[in-house]
Amino acid sequence: MFFGQLVIAGLLTGSVYSMIGVGFTLVLGVGKIANFAHGSFVGVGLYFALFMWQKAGLNPYEALVPGLLAFILIGWAVAELFEWRGRKIGEIGELLVGLALLLTIGGLLEVLYTDNPRSFEAPSLGGVSVFGATVPWTEIIAAIFTLALAAATYFFVRLSRWGRAMRAVAENATAAGLYGVRAPITQRAAVTASIAIAGVSGMFIAPFTVMTPDAGTSYLISAFAVVIIGGIGRTMGAVAAGLAIGVVEALTGGYLSSVWTTLAPLLVILGFLLVRPEAGVAK
Amino acid sequence: MKALANSRYVGLGVLAVFFVVAWFVVGGLDASAVSIAVLALYYGAAGTSFNFLYGSIGVFSLAQPVFLAVGGYTGVYLYLTYGISPWLSIPISCAVAGLIALPIGLASLRRPGAVMTALVTLIIAEAAGPVVSAIKPLGGSIGLYLTLRSSDDLGAMQFGSGVAFARIFLIVNVILIAGLMWFNRSRAGYWARALRDSPEAADACGVPVFRVKLWIFVASAMIAAPVGLIYAQYNLLVNTDLFLGTTTLFEVIVVALVGGVARSWGTLVGALAIVEISQNVTSATSSRPGYGPLTFACIFLVIALLMPRGLSGTWAAWWERRRRSPDQAGGIAAVGAPQHAAERMATQTPVPDMTAHSQRSE
Repeated sequence: MFFGQLVIAGLLTGSVYSMIGVGFTLVLGVGKIANFAHGSFVGVGLYFALFMWQKAGLNPYEALVPGLLAFILIGWAVAELFEWRGRKIGEIGELLVGLALLLTIGGLLEVLYTDNPRSFEAPSLGGVSVFGATVPWTEIIAAIFTLALAAATYFFVRLSRWGRAMRAVAENATAAGLYGVRAPITQRAAVTASIAIAGVSGMFIAPFTVMTPDAGTSYLISAFAVVIIGGIGRTMGAVAAGLAIGVVEALTGGYLSSVWTTLAPLLVILGFLLVRPEAGVAK
Repeated sequence: MKALANSRYVGLGVLAVFFVVAWFVVGGLDASAVSIAVLALYYGAAGTSFNFLYGSIGVFSLAQPVFLAVGGYTGVYLYLTYGISPWLSIPISCAVAGLIALPIGLASLRRPGAVMTALVTLIIAEAAGPVVSAIKPLGGSIGLYLTLRSSDDLGAMQFGSGVAFARIFLIVNVILIAGLMWFNRSRAGYWARALRDSPEAADACGVPVFRVKLWIFVASAMIAAPVGLIYAQYNLLVNTDLFLGTTTLFEVIVVALVGGVARSWGTLVGALAIVEISQNVTSATSSRPGYGPLTFACIFLVIALLMPRGLSGTWAAWWERRRRSPDQAGGIAAVGAPQHAAERMATQTPVPDMTAHSQRSE
């Protein structure tokens, strides 16, 4: 049942990619901002969970409420930065701010927690046995969270007033403004939501993830891969793409050498970009 | 026009004076200062290839370190396997980098907008490390190492002190900056900036937009390769960490952006400033890990927030404001990152309104 184990492992890894991709697709499709620091906030979430566990004795699930509040505040501040630079300098201004935040957050984490990989195992919830392999509950909870998050985002953007406002702003901010949508606030809300999602995702995956300060770049890349393959602004596409990448990664890692674990997803994306150069062009 | 011609000679004169002064200053430095100088001049040269790409056609490519790595690997591999002198490898590395740049350009340049290009090229840069590590003849993740000669060996590009490398990089910098100054005022340079400022208008005027973009992308890769080759010779090794590590990957780009692409000398000034500051911080914190990269990042953050066009862009805007009459001064300060073409066009043509419609006002 080696194959089954690999598929399960791949789906669990993939759900992490989907989780990160959902936030990125929201900010790219609705906020119209390619937040280069998106993955960094996942990294901040990871280290925030570590901090709460070491200093306050709270496990990541107990730390969710303060974490969510903190990330909403951070997210709003970052959204203000993007808005301020974007209004004056345009796309390049946002790109520069995102890139600078990516590097600054990575540098700060390295100074605070050094280069050494960290991990902590809490809470220990045990696991269930699938195909002869033990799957920890923490990973299952993360996968469930991904699905709930994707469904919530999907219906929120589709059906709610705020979601409709976001889509209107994404389509044409000026026209939406003329119809009474408060475009600047809506855009900030999209950025804030995506950063809060990224941070909380980091906290959810903290119990089973080895954290390094440069996690920001690799999470940014997985998020972008998910968005490219799943389609910009498509929540369900992001979920499917994330799961697919996870399974490809697990299968190549299992049947070929471990080099392929990092290489295979990147090659899939590169191939995708070469074959479909128009992928990733915003509608 | 006369003022413009004068400013060109002033630029070349300043460059020549800088070259002569730096040539002798480098000779008198102690070993640690020389290593800082080599680093700064390497970043300056590497960043200038990005300056060429981003400044002329506005392509924000994070894949530039890949071509540095291509150069480094070509030089060391050819020397170790076939005994080919690194000097002869320079044109070969250009060709290899050009060949590799072609498919990368095809994959990344069709996307409109700087952000998409940046993301795609970031993926390519991240993929390059594992790809190179997977190729056995290139030494895997350990890389290729040169053995240190006992004495200076010009043919093998090995020198006992860093001074020779500092001078080589100095020459490279001066050639690149002078070349960029020439390019910016050449017909091709105006084409490039026309299609950057408005691809549609350039297309309508008969400029083959995608082809020009692709060729400039390939050319910038070919410029980067020799720089990487020389840097690998200086380090006596080549591996993925040297060019494609998590921090080294971004540092070249950061240096270019801090310096700004509005002027051809921007990158060199940015490199000198940022390397000097980060060295001071590193020694002040007694080399604790992480402070060097953090300093790089913090300088970049400050620049990104306060001077998004970099040092040379801010200088150019200030210069332009001073030169113009006060009632026209407002417009130029608010322009986006690589807008110097618009300024240059305004300088060339006596119609001040040329710039007005393409820029956001403050």
